Amino acid sequence: MRAIRAIMWKELRDAVRSRWLVGYAAAFAVVALALSQLQGGDIGSQGFNRTTAGLINLCILLVPLLSLVLGAAAIAGERERGTLATLLSQPISAAELLAGKYLGLTIAVWSAIALGFGAAGFLVALFEPITDVKHYLLFVLLSGALASATLSIGMLISVIADSRVKALSGAVLAWFLLVLVYDLGAIGLALWISSSGRTLLAVALGNPVEATRLLAVLSVEPDLQILGPLGSYMVDRLGTATSAVLLLLSLVAWSVAPLGIAVRIFQSQDS
Amino acid sequence: MLTVRDARKRYGTNAALDGVSLELGKGSVLAVIGANGAGKTTLLKCIIGLLKFEGQVLIDGIDVARKGKQARRLIGYVPQQPALHGDLSVRETGMFYADLKGVSHERAREVVEWVGLADHTEKRTDALSGGMRQRLALALALLADPPLLVLDEPASGLDVSARLELRRLVQDQRELGKAIILSTHWLEDVPYVAASALVLDQGKAVFQGPAKQLTANAAVGSKLYLRLNGHSPDAVPVIRSTAVAGAVDQAGDWLVVTCRAENKAQIVEALFSAGITILDFRVEEASVDEAVIDLQSVAGEGR
Repeated sequence: MRAIRAIMWKELRDAVRSRWLVGYAAAFAVVALALSQLQGGDIGSQGFNRTTAGLINLCILLVPLLSLVLGAAAIAGERERGTLATLLSQPISAAELLAGKYLGLTIAVWSAIALGFGAAGFLVALFEPITDVKHYLLFVLLSGALASATLSIGMLISVIADSRVKALSGAVLAWFLLVLVYDLGAIGLALWISSSGRTLLAVALGNPVEATRLLAVLSVEPDLQILGPLGSYMVDRLGTATSAVLLLLSLVAWSVAPLGIAVRIFQSQDS
Repeated sequence: MLTVRDARKRYGTNAALDGVSLELGKGSVLAVIGANGAGKTTLLKCIIGLLKFEGQVLIDGIDVARKGKQARRLIGYVPQQPALHGDLSVRETGMFYADLKGVSHERAREVVEWVGLADHTEKRTDALSGGMRQRLALALALLADPPLLVLDEPASGLDVSARLELRRLVQDQRELGKAIILSTHWLEDVPYVAASALVLDQGKAVFQGPAKQLTANAAVGSKLYLRLNGHSPDAVPVIRSTAVAGAVDQAGDWLVVTCRAENKAQIVEALFSAGITILDFRVEEASVDEAVIDLQSVAGEGR
């Protein structure tokens, strides 16, 4: 536990020092504020809801990119600098090193999201009475959950890649697949293989970005058109509550499983 | 303290370590010698548990492959080229590794001072010279006062005074009862730092025994080049009469005498006594590669 804490604090300190944490927080705040203004300056009782709905689409683009890249650099960067061997020659296990890095990065990204969207929400609330903060806060939490899931995938890429460049390329490729290709590709493939409900359900749960999008839409305005074919199918067959639980479980699984696989691979590697 | 049993490591078809075994007790120093690529670093990395290998490494009875974290609590490791986080200062580096090892920040300050970096505590580690980085790595290795020190080419990148300092440090640590295994390709350091030696060649142990026996067995020869005042023919019998010289050859103006490093002065003294003036001289120390070649030929003759 002591070693995990030491690695975690170092990651947090690195994030603050390299200023990416502050940079991303500022970027999130600017995006949220700009979007609230683009809603026609209407930041009244519907302001938060509209801002939230608009932010969902931006969030599922930005948060996975940031988290995948940070996760991918975590181990590959240490390996390239030669510091990985120095760290692993200490009384620390491979699992503890990965856990410390993951926790440190997760706290850092959650902080950037909370600071950025928090500051934007605060500024919006200064001008109009707040009536619908709940959905906005839920959206911020979902962004954090998506960050945890994609960081875990990034760490897996980092362990597999033998150089930082390859890890970062892998992260961008993963982002491209999860965010841009998945919707069309996976649904098309699923329908081609089998158009059964189970296949569609697997497709919805098989991507943390899609799971976050569906959860966010379900929480803000469960409109069947916005939910898309996968979300509509889930809500229609399982109901909103069961769908939400399944999607949340999917996010938890995406946060744990890639990291678990990364630990197993990392333990079998030479340093 | 340290037991290595039949350690083997392969990279594809290449055997980087081929059945090496050794024992090292408390208060002993073992020098691992070999040319580049002989398997020295591979052996030390297996001992630390940084590499997966066949065979067994026990640190005070703890199996490195099974309980690596527990075993590494007993090890202080200085890598060949210490890689430290360049964005941390010397003080922060000490504190970070103290946290990892579970020792106090005060202890980190002590060891940093002890290795002579007290005036550089706020310097980033990427601004340190190679020698200073080596000293910081040594400080980190000593942080938790481990009973086993694993030093990979600790003398590389050090100037003469730092090398002498290192010899003293190794002696001090040995006197404190620590077991020390160090790799080097500076053969002349070996008799000063280690009682026993292990010579590796292509992953195989070609010699294992007392360090003094190594120099005797290997017939390691320095080459003493002498330019004399036109008395070369007279000088040859004088040199031979010392009984410490090996081959004596003429190379242009130079007389080339093969001898052990410690016997050079005896030959020069004999020439002075015979009234032969030495106009110029230079010394070529034997390399570890030559020693290994000698050891191989000795092993070959024995078969």
